[in-house]
Amino acid sequence: MIFSLLDELLIFSAATVLVALVLGRGLAVGWMVTILYAGQLLVLIKMAALGYGGDPIASELSLSVMGQDLSWRFDALSWFFALITLVAALLTSWFSCGEWERKFKQQGGNVWLFHLAMALNVFTMLILLASGDLLSLFIGWELVSWAGFLLMAVAGGVATKAAMRYITYAVVGGMSIFGGIALVYAAAGSLQYEAILIAVEKMSTGQLWMLVLLFGSGFGIKMGLLPFHLWQAAAYAETPGPGSAFLGAISSRMGLFAILLVLVKLFGIVNIDSLKIPFTLIDARDLLAWIAVFTIIFPTYTALKQNDARYLLAWHGIGQGGYMLLGLVTANSLGAAGGLLHVLNYAACQAALLMAVFAVMHRTGTADLNKLGGLVTRMPLSFLVLLTGIIGLAGLPPMNGFVSKWLVYRSLLEDGMPLLFLGTIIGTLGTILSVYKLIHNMFLGQLRVEHEPVREAPWSMMIPMLILAGTIFVTGLLPGIPLTWVTAALQTIGLTGPEITLGGIESSSGSLDMIWVIGVLFAGFGIGAVIFYSAGPSKRVHQLDNYAGGHFLTADVRYQYSDNFYSGLMHLIKGWYRGSFQWLENSITSLVEFLSLGMQGIYRRANSEFYLLSTALFIIAWVVF
Amino acid sequence: MAPIELLIELTLMPLIAFIVGMMMVLMMRRIAAKIQRRIGPPFFQPLYDIVKLHGKRTQVSHGLIHDIGIVMAMGGYIAAETLLPVPGMDGIAEKGGLITLLYLMMIPSLGLALGVGQCANPNGSIGIARALTAMLAYDIPLVIVIFGVAYAAGTTNLVEIIATQQAGGFATWGVIEMPLLAIAGLIAMHASLGKQPFEIYIAPAEIATGPMVEMSGKYLGGLFVMQCFQLYTTSVLYVSLFLGGGTTWFDFLIKSFLVLAIPVSIAYLFPRYRTEDLLRLMWKWPVMLGLIGLAFVM
Repeated sequence: MIFSLLDELLIFSAATVLVALVLGRGLAVGWMVTILYAGQLLVLIKMAALGYGGDPIASELSLSVMGQDLSWRFDALSWFFALITLVAALLTSWFSCGEWERKFKQQGGNVWLFHLAMALNVFTMLILLASGDLLSLFIGWELVSWAGFLLMAVAGGVATKAAMRYITYAVVGGMSIFGGIALVYAAAGSLQYEAILIAVEKMSTGQLWMLVLLFGSGFGIKMGLLPFHLWQAAAYAETPGPGSAFLGAISSRMGLFAILLVLVKLFGIVNIDSLKIPFTLIDARDLLAWIAVFTIIFPTYTALKQNDARYLLAWHGIGQGGYMLLGLVTANSLGAAGGLLHVLNYAACQAALLMAVFAVMHRTGTADLNKLGGLVTRMPLSFLVLLTGIIGLAGLPPMNGFVSKWLVYRSLLEDGMPLLFLGTIIGTLGTILSVYKLIHNMFLGQLRVEHEPVREAPWSMMIPMLILAGTIFVTGLLPGIPLTWVTAALQTIGLTGPEITLGGIESSSGSLDMIWVIGVLFAGFGIGAVIFYSAGPSKRVHQLDNYAGGHFLTADVRYQYSDNFYSGLMHLIKGWYRGSFQWLENSITSLVEFLSLGMQGIYRRANSEFYLLSTALFIIAWVVF
Repeated sequence: MAPIELLIELTLMPLIAFIVGMMMVLMMRRIAAKIQRRIGPPFFQPLYDIVKLHGKRTQVSHGLIHDIGIVMAMGGYIAAETLLPVPGMDGIAEKGGLITLLYLMMIPSLGLALGVGQCANPNGSIGIARALTAMLAYDIPLVIVIFGVAYAAGTTNLVEIIATQQAGGFATWGVIEMPLLAIAGLIAMHASLGKQPFEIYIAPAEIATGPMVEMSGKYLGGLFVMQCFQLYTTSVLYVSLFLGGGTTWFDFLIKSFLVLAIPVSIAYLFPRYRTEDLLRLMWKWPVMLGLIGLAFVM
């Protein structure tokens, strides 16, 4: 049997899991798995033809379970997601090697379990991305869910609680998907994509609605779409550093991948468009678009309120997912490209940001935004990485986030959707506010006395962070490179991409050339620098050498503005945070608890004769009627 | 276009913006003086100020980011000018478009925010927190306006938006075709300049001039330069969107100065709002006008 490249990749990935499992208690396991991730990435790069529209690569392995053929294959879409997954795994694993691992162990963490969980996550994600039919998709889906749970629960304590909450959501989602698959099977008689594509054309509106809702909510839970987003922030934020960066970067996007595969490729945007909601002007696609916009706005403004850097970023992760879905449901060439490109851009930004936060946490022991400040003088490179990341996350030039968001904005403009457009901008403005709070409260302002001796993060952390920062900038400068992959990926799900140039896109209604934009921006900075530095030298003063309106400043007085950072804004909008989703979740939990209590009560009280009698009666009734 | 020609344009556009911007600062001060019954500064006062601030012997820095912040504040606007078409020169406006311009105009604010952050003065930080809040307030109506104009024109290319208005004559100017959007845009523009009554982040009586509290010498000089660019960019953008841009430099400059004179004249008649009042006002009136105006465009 000759292995295809996909087989090689999966075997490599399985071997990584095995190495982590068997040798995980030995020394330097972190370096070992990091090298293995690099090996997986190399195999993936050998498949790079996929990213430029090459033919799909199938796995030699195929199974048949109860008459259902299971197959695995990689196409441009899988390749694109796998690329992000493996780069994220490589860099986060690199980050964990050496000093971080030692400290984690000192604090009672289980390094072996951590690396095993990471390797399992990567492996299961690759299996999911390689799925060739609905059944293998479902198997991959469940594997990813449980692997994610393992990684989230590694830290124990609060993390376990968050992970339990996640798995509750994930199981509900899994059941919903399973229900959808059962319905599809009933309609198509097969779980192969070709058969489903034919069956979809004959489905009634009711059937389609049911499927869209079942699959949409099932996959939406993983993505953290409203109203299923509550589990995500705590689950990601409490995961140990590099794991958090990995999950934050790519894990939720598996939900987007599945949505693309099932809702866009199999059901088709046109069909979803035809699903009207009675008595309103909107259809299922508008519904998805509005869910996406609310997923942008609410979590972003929840992030604004956070005082823990990890939580702040985790909430943004949920919000950014909204841009991706929104771009993709517009389904025009600009929006779809923007949405898919944002998966890559966001992953780079989020991983860099979380790594920078965990680097600070590694050195100072806290991520509390009210207990940091002034670290730019101590950790300048981490500051640079965080700065690059926040510019990218907020979507400002010259970083990559600008390009993908620009594409989404433009698509909404072209489709004439002012309210959705406004929603995305409100989200972006909220992001700008909240990331400034992040960088200000950690790196700017006054350095605390206890942080005087803090040093820059070790190189084992710094190098992967700098690579990510470089990626954020380069993919912003030359968006044509990732856009080519994106276009190939879009073609596999029946969408078309825009006309691409190296520096952006070419369009009759307004083009974008980032090489020029960034060129003039840096020329502008250059001229600004000439004006500024030609004015003679300046004298560096101590941070307490400040205008304090007549007060004397001493080192023991905190002179940092961090708490309630946007007090004026919060004064107006604090009443708008009603916690409705939390209330909804609580009431469902109470209802389930109440029902289970009732069942328990019946079970305990009733005697066995009564049970026997009622069961017998029920069976007789069933047989008779 | 020949590269050398383009290079000349890219150099001239920010330079002209700077000179016109200084004259706009002068106009602002003269209007203030008229309203307050003073004589006002001489013609070259803005230039004297910039030279004086840059020439000061004592320059106080709070660190590298403090310096870089000022460079970014100036540089961001210098870059933005090349995307803003003026009579006879389009620069690289076609390579970026309206949305890119709007976002490039946020870079100076980001630079300023970083620089002020390193000054480690709570008054400065409060000022920035307020400035960003103000941005959240005025950008929402502004974005509605931009959307309306771009949708009506069917493009985000500023060159085309201007050309369409000029080809159709006065009757096709944005202000005639979309009067509600024009009003909303004017209010949002006023707030974006940070002049009274929207001066929440300077607030000298409350937070000791906020972002400027630790700025002196060339740092303040850099911010002065930034203000020249800001006045120019804002008014020229408004002229391009609603008043048909300029066919000649003469009518272009007249329009730009007139547009700017409106918020500036209002500014010196009013005291300052509180932060939450600014938000409330911005999210109510210009948003409402903008949305109604948008409904007419769609």
